[in-house]
Amino acid sequence: MSEVPPTRMNQQIYKAKKKAAQGGHKLLKKKADALKVKFRDYAKAIAETKSSMAGDAASAFFSMTQAEYAAGNFKQKVAEGSMSARIRVGAGVDNVAGVKLPVFSKYETGAAADNQSLGLVGGGKKIVAVREKFTVLLNLMIKLASLQTSFQTLDEALKVTNRRVNALENVTIPRIEDVLSYISRELDELEREDFTRLKIVQGKKEQEEKESAAKAAIAKKNPGKENDADITAAFDATDDEDVVF
Amino acid sequence: MATPKPNSPGDITTFNILHGFPEALVRGMRSSFLQDADYHHLTQCETLDDVRLNLTESDYAEALADSNTMTPASLQKAAIDKLVTEFKYLRTQTVEPLAKFMDFITYEYMIENVMLLLKGALSGRDINELIEQCHPLGMFKESTMRSIPTFENSSKGYADLYQTVLVDTPVGPYFALFLQESVQHRGADARNVLEEVEIEIIKSSLIKYWLEDFHQYVENLGGDTATIMGELLKVRADTNAINITLNSFGTPLNEPDMRTSDRKRLYPAVGHLYPAGTSMLIDVQDEEELGRVLDLFPSYSAIWNMHAGGSGDKSIDDGFYERDVQMLELAFESQMHFAVFYAYVKLKEQEIRNLVWISECILQQQKDEINKFVPVFSQHCPWRMGKKH
Repeated sequence: MSEVPPTRMNQQIYKAKKKAAQGGHKLLKKKADALKVKFRDYAKAIAETKSSMAGDAASAFFSMTQAEYAAGNFKQKVAEGSMSARIRVGAGVDNVAGVKLPVFSKYETGAAADNQSLGLVGGGKKIVAVREKFTVLLNLMIKLASLQTSFQTLDEALKVTNRRVNALENVTIPRIEDVLSYISRELDELEREDFTRLKIVQGKKEQEEKESAAKAAIAKKNPGKENDADITAAFDATDDEDVVF
Repeated sequence: MATPKPNSPGDITTFNILHGFPEALVRGMRSSFLQDADYHHLTQCETLDDVRLNLTESDYAEALADSNTMTPASLQKAAIDKLVTEFKYLRTQTVEPLAKFMDFITYEYMIENVMLLLKGALSGRDINELIEQCHPLGMFKESTMRSIPTFENSSKGYADLYQTVLVDTPVGPYFALFLQESVQHRGADARNVLEEVEIEIIKSSLIKYWLEDFHQYVENLGGDTATIMGELLKVRADTNAINITLNSFGTPLNEPDMRTSDRKRLYPAVGHLYPAGTSMLIDVQDEEELGRVLDLFPSYSAIWNMHAGGSGDKSIDDGFYERDVQMLELAFESQMHFAVFYAYVKLKEQEIRNLVWISECILQQQKDEINKFVPVFSQHCPWRMGKKH
């Protein structure tokens, strides 16, 4: 506080700063609220997806058991064969209240389905069922992964924004207000000093005037008592009449 | 007393001379199957440790004694190893022609192993991992197995592969037939056939040749073996044909041009459905037509109705399993033939499937589905109960 000279210019500067800080604070609060709403939405979505995934995962693995009962062990055949991915995950960016969130989307590469004739001599239907169930599970997993990464990023962003809001609220703005109040106090005091000085000067001036007025009054009361040394003083221009021809 | 010619199994008077001991062994092993009471106890278990406890009273006690904790996979491995030990023991006690018969049983698993090794080698997998995945009943010489992935992935490579490696294995001839047919069919591109054609289709073709070969051999043996085993193989071929047709809907195999060229080549030339049924099956393109074709064959229409009518509870695979178990159990009812050995292996496989099913259901907490297995030699199965009335 002592660094800032209490001038009117500084007062203007700091008023502007306070306005900016307050404006920024309002905006950040809005952003934090928007993020909070999204945060709650994501949390709900994640809870829902997780609970449905439990059931889907159980049924997917059970359909695998059924398929192995009907078709024998086909795990090695799938694992040892050549595999080309039919489904890929793409990473994208979603913008929420200015925060960039990572999202995963699934897209199919359109490659031919391998191992289509896997259960040819037995259990074919069950293997098709396994494929379907695991596709559903895969979709859920991609969705859940996307939700969770977004949730984490959102969490970070929310924390940062809240920190900034709190900083503005509890540190920056009070400081600026302190400076402003100091400046205004100092200015007031300067004004008061000025005022008192002015009053004193005025008083002195009045006194001087009084003195000079008193001197003049005394000089008027005693006109003949002026000095002989001063000859011209005895000669008055109105003593003689003008000579007119 | 002259030793009978080692070409036929003999009939009721001469069978026991050469093959009496193995048959006695197999019948002894028949009593090691889990009973209804055992299955009942197993389905009541809450955890896999309970299952293990219950199994210690059965024949599986030694097999499970080594492991500390049990998973369905470890149970399956232990059970299969036990079966393989028993099979090898039986095999060492046999002489021709029973020895060749038992070898025929193993060719099925050998085909699967060869396909696995070839496909895995094409994708560049480690040979040791692949050998571990092979079915133990179908192992052939280790040196042969190790040399499969050393061949280059080119047309010359395959020719070499066949000349040096596969020709040694017992399933080599099936491969030769398959490649020959591919050349006939596709022309000069046959060398790339291993890469292009899906592994399952190659395997189905090889199994087809195996079934025909086996059937031929069994017919030559004559006697009860030919009757009973021939029937079993015919039913197996029909099951394959129906399954191939049913499971090809929705895959490229079902397109009109593929049907006549590729799918037709997968139907075996043995079985009740051959030749009239299979020629009708070639043109079938959806389930309705398949149902109509099967209505002409009463034994299969019953199973088909199980699939078409209530697709919720039982599937067509369950129907086939039940029918197979029934026929295989009947094989044990008569003596002096080789089919009991085949029946023993297949029924033991079904039991292993049941055990894995039960333990998976317990592990995944799906208790309502746990009874969907087919018990072997059950006193309460429908066809036995039906007889009693």
